[in-house]
Amino acid sequence: MNIIETTGLAGNYWTTEFSQGWRTEVVHDVTLAVPAGSVFALLGANGAGKTTTIKLMMNLLAPTQGEARVLGVDSRQLGPREYSKIGYISENQKLPDWMSVRQLLDYCRPFYPTWDAALEKKLLAQFDLPPARKLKQLSRGMRMKARLLSSLAYRPTLLVLDEPFSGLDPLVRDEFVRGVLEVSELGDWSVFISSHDIEEVERLCDWIGVLDIGRMQFVESTESLLGRFRRIEISLAGGAARLGALPQDWLEPEQQGERVRFIASRYERDATERACCEQFPAAAVQAFPMTLREIYVVLARANRSKAKGAAA
Amino acid sequence: MLPFMIELKPGLAIAEQVIFAVKKAVVGGQMKPGAPFPSVRALSQELKINPNTAHKITAALVAEGVLVTTPAVGSLVAERGETDRKARAELLGADLERLAVDAKKLGLTLDEVQDGFAVQWRKLSRK
Repeated sequence: MNIIETTGLAGNYWTTEFSQGWRTEVVHDVTLAVPAGSVFALLGANGAGKTTTIKLMMNLLAPTQGEARVLGVDSRQLGPREYSKIGYISENQKLPDWMSVRQLLDYCRPFYPTWDAALEKKLLAQFDLPPARKLKQLSRGMRMKARLLSSLAYRPTLLVLDEPFSGLDPLVRDEFVRGVLEVSELGDWSVFISSHDIEEVERLCDWIGVLDIGRMQFVESTESLLGRFRRIEISLAGGAARLGALPQDWLEPEQQGERVRFIASRYERDATERACCEQFPAAAVQAFPMTLREIYVVLARANRSKAKGAAA
Repeated sequence: MLPFMIELKPGLAIAEQVIFAVKKAVVGGQMKPGAPFPSVRALSQELKINPNTAHKITAALVAEGVLVTTPAVGSLVAERGETDRKARAELLGADLERLAVDAKKLGLTLDEVQDGFAVQWRKLSRK
């Protein structure tokens, strides 16, 4: 079963620009599926439409086209029964600043039948949140932890995190990830996270979806993505050679004297090595794995030049 | 704390790295037969990885006979088998490959490499 499913989702971002008619469509056609029990990361440049996509899923915005289904229910029909199983955290969420941490928790607790008081206590200590301090007096990191605590305490089936690590220092980030893992249950725990913090994402996420200008560029398993990208370094045996026509999935080729480098985007050990031998006979070939961050940058650059090429 | 040493490198499949590290620890003697192995939950929290991945790792290690699961206690390191010598040699495979490529790029002969290796080996044996 898919815990989240969108088909051809489109939606607007509400602006304060009268000249734009108060709204601009930032999500044009988003189709993705999050299998239950998996962790899905939505990556994309600033302004790609990640936050709007999440708001559409959570029924904070109505779709102009297409649909989103969450926990098997159309987003427009989401109600208390579903919300009590969803933990939604976003930096944009308004907190009742006048409340203390303790008051926030006292306020949230009665809404959730599955609220775990022991877990609440444990996380409060783990996050080192001062219960009596007012939310408006907390630092950014503390505020995010307060949001996280109030969302984790009822052990939600689905966690939706909108740029949760933005602006958090490494210690807080670490605490955040530990907190999220604290409520993980094998099989009955799904996470949807939109993030730029690719390092965290790489370790946690089963699925990566890349959003580009309101459309899904692709959705792929982390394993497959990391498996098919390699940085290839070649040492030419007989001095410099001219780079002729290279396979299309060899990205960003560079040459300096006897050294050639490119990014293989469809790497397969034997096939790629064979292709290298054909292009560069008697050369020494080395393949290096790439981090998710490096892969994302390569893809983003390729997109940008494609867009420039199309515009030209 | 985990009973095996590992430094997760980004870009490589996490499951493979952990499985390799565990095998190395078992074969190298840092993890003794019968020693408890962390639960899926503990593994996921210590390494800060997806619990699904932690589960895959444990399942793979059990399937390969490195770990055994007992209903009450959890996962334990399995008793040593006969394939150890070969398995131990295989663990060095990636390192040896890299060494061979580097040596060839530097234009070294097999003898030069072997001599250099022997020096390093003797240094360790003296300690």
